[in-house]
Amino acid sequence: MIPTLGRALLFLGLGASAAGISAGVIAGWRRSSEAARWTRNLTYVSAAAFGLAALLMVYALLVHDFSVAYVADVGSTTTPAMISVVSLWSSLEGSMLFWAFIAAAYAGFFAWGTRHDDPARVGWSLAVQLFVLLFFALLVAGEATPFALIDPTPTEGPGPNPLLQNHILMAVHPPTLYLGYVGMAVPFAMAVAALATGKLDASWTRTMRSWSLFVWAFLTLGIVLGGWWSYEVLGWGGYWAWDPVENASLLPWLTFTAFLHSLIVAERRGRLGLLALVLVIASFLLTMLGTFMTRSGVFNSVHSFTQSPVGPVFLGFLALCLVGSVLLLAARMDALKIEIGPKPRSAELVSREAGFLLANLVLVVFSATVLLGTVYPLINQAITGEQVSVGGPYYETMTLPLIAGLLALMGIGPALPWGGASTPVLLRQLLPPTVIAIAVGAIAKVMGLDNSWVHLTLTLATFAAVVSFREIWAPIGAALRRSGEPAWRAPFTAMAASPRRMGAHIAHLGVVVMAISIGFSTAYKQEAELNIELGQSTEWNGYTIGFLGAERIDDPHRTSTRAKLAVFEGRHDLGELMPALNKYPRMSQSIGTPAVINRPSEDLYISAVRVASDQVSIRAYVQPLVSWVWLGGILVVLGGLVAAVPRLRRRREQEREA
Amino acid sequence: MNWKVLAAGALVIVPLIWILASGFGHDPHAIPTTTIGSPAADFALTSLEGDPVQLSKLRGKPVVLNFWSTWCGPCVGEHPLLQAAARQHPEVVFLGVLYGDEPGRARDYLKRAGSAYPTLVDESQRIVVDYGVAGVPETFFIAADGTIVEKVSGGLGQAQLLAALEKLK
Repeated sequence: MIPTLGRALLFLGLGASAAGISAGVIAGWRRSSEAARWTRNLTYVSAAAFGLAALLMVYALLVHDFSVAYVADVGSTTTPAMISVVSLWSSLEGSMLFWAFIAAAYAGFFAWGTRHDDPARVGWSLAVQLFVLLFFALLVAGEATPFALIDPTPTEGPGPNPLLQNHILMAVHPPTLYLGYVGMAVPFAMAVAALATGKLDASWTRTMRSWSLFVWAFLTLGIVLGGWWSYEVLGWGGYWAWDPVENASLLPWLTFTAFLHSLIVAERRGRLGLLALVLVIASFLLTMLGTFMTRSGVFNSVHSFTQSPVGPVFLGFLALCLVGSVLLLAARMDALKIEIGPKPRSAELVSREAGFLLANLVLVVFSATVLLGTVYPLINQAITGEQVSVGGPYYETMTLPLIAGLLALMGIGPALPWGGASTPVLLRQLLPPTVIAIAVGAIAKVMGLDNSWVHLTLTLATFAAVVSFREIWAPIGAALRRSGEPAWRAPFTAMAASPRRMGAHIAHLGVVVMAISIGFSTAYKQEAELNIELGQSTEWNGYTIGFLGAERIDDPHRTSTRAKLAVFEGRHDLGELMPALNKYPRMSQSIGTPAVINRPSEDLYISAVRVASDQVSIRAYVQPLVSWVWLGGILVVLGGLVAAVPRLRRRREQEREA
Repeated sequence: MNWKVLAAGALVIVPLIWILASGFGHDPHAIPTTTIGSPAADFALTSLEGDPVQLSKLRGKPVVLNFWSTWCGPCVGEHPLLQAAARQHPEVVFLGVLYGDEPGRARDYLKRAGSAYPTLVDESQRIVVDYGVAGVPETFFIAADGTIVEKVSGGLGQAQLLAALEKLK
């Protein structure tokens, strides 16, 4: 029953998408409102079909209908309900269905949001989005269908991958990341539509900006939550390993961040330039590349699924998108008189525009560096036939100078006025933050900061932070002086008056917080393996850790062995920590659950290596400031959301006028 | 048509797709097996019944070394095949090695499912490291001269088992 209904829904969505593409192209070609209306309605049908298909799969997982192939693969009657829902994205076929659902939902919301817009532009945008959706839909309905019928019906399944059953973040990280990743098709489609129709004007740029900020905020949140999940679950004491799939999320984030910055310049000029177009297209293509990496089985990664037949199909689609984008850009470039970028006159070499350009350059080089490291194992294997892996040292050596450069530009760029500046203005803008930064750097040195990269990071981050604080304070101060309104309301008035500026600098402050905390937590990380006998304690790094005993907890889906540890810092009781080793049926290895004491100054992180009744082996880590990595990340996301505000207000005003 | 954009695009696309395509056909998860053709690491362990077994003392006879556990489905699936093969080939020494399991459970299981050859226990699981065992079942076929001639990861099929036993001759 469910397999049949599921496939029917998928085919309905598939048909609606295919028809929608034709209607969209006609709407674009003939500038027909009628065709645009058809495109919209077909998009709604497609969104509803994939939405229902995803819900149906969740239902099948919840009622353990093992006649559905995907449920038989990842379901189990012993799995708790919450985890059953989460298993929708725990394996290849389900995650593709989830992907198609999100892509369809995006297209649906986009169709609704742009229903009053130019039919040609909307037609092309929807056609492109539906085209991307169609590709995933074809995989979900065909090669990788989760709704295949299993006959005879098994009575029990293996349950989802234990790693995915271990933490609540598994319910949040993938959907947020998907919202960012899949959503990248929206600004891409808008760029294609702008190229196809030749309308690169300011109103489209504004619409693009609000969608882009939304998508970017989710991508950022997804990456941060992914790091957090890795930290809380995997038990290796880290949050970023330069794994191909982590890189796959970082690559488009970097180019897309550059795109957001180039949009600011484009909006000032009233027109999209080549740089912005290339960046948004590249961001989308990098998400496709990232999807290929995770789904093809070509890369070795914690995330990659096994070698699967969808790999070559994916590569074909990636190649098609690449070739199509380049052809479109090449064909329209001259006709639309798209400029490569602003050509700064010599007086403008030190200007806000130049700052943006330079920052984008650094972001692109960053992305290219990470891309090279990620595909290098493949290059090497293709040429020499040997297997190599590129690890942390490459990325750290290569990216540290780039991060330092970005921090410096985050401080210098916003301090520069548009269009160039005279020397006195420059001095007035740059001198105070420089002095404060050098002072903070010097104090840190005196206090014993001995790592030169961390020292440089701290100094440059302080510089950027001072500039951002000044930019955030200026409108608040103005609000306070102007109206004499209550002080608590001034920040909100200022935020409503200049949300973009506020949002941008809140995001910058988030990056500053992240840079400092990443620097300290990496450079000053301590780790040790400790063995503690029952009833004994050991001292390490200022902590006293005692072993109180082991306990075994039998859940239906796993057996956990926990070590009860009493932790003291000096005489101060920090409470009990219980790192665990979990054994899942049908998995040879135990999966650990680390226990962490989070404090603003530092984290004590303990994972169990071996738990016996009389002795415990643990791996302990101390990482200063590590909690601030997530807080900084959340600040970045908040900044993005604040910056997205004006568009909503403006739209409401436009609607009121109309 | 802007040829510069086209050329720049081609410069990125062609090598990228070529490199990505070259990745097919290689399994990045495959750990290079240095064990086939190399001498089997020696071990001295005790069986579930408490009898000592040392690999080097078996030199001159071919050995089939099967890593297994009671919780592993494919192991249970191949168990009857291995038992039958052990009875048909008295000239070959069959040995099981318990992997990530409790000896008590294994004893109960073998009592029920039948056992034609000893299963060894290694509390330290050092043998697992020595043989690079990534999961169960894994079966090593060791020739009379002590070199590993075949390794099968995953459950054995009848044909596969016969072909591997041929190689031991």
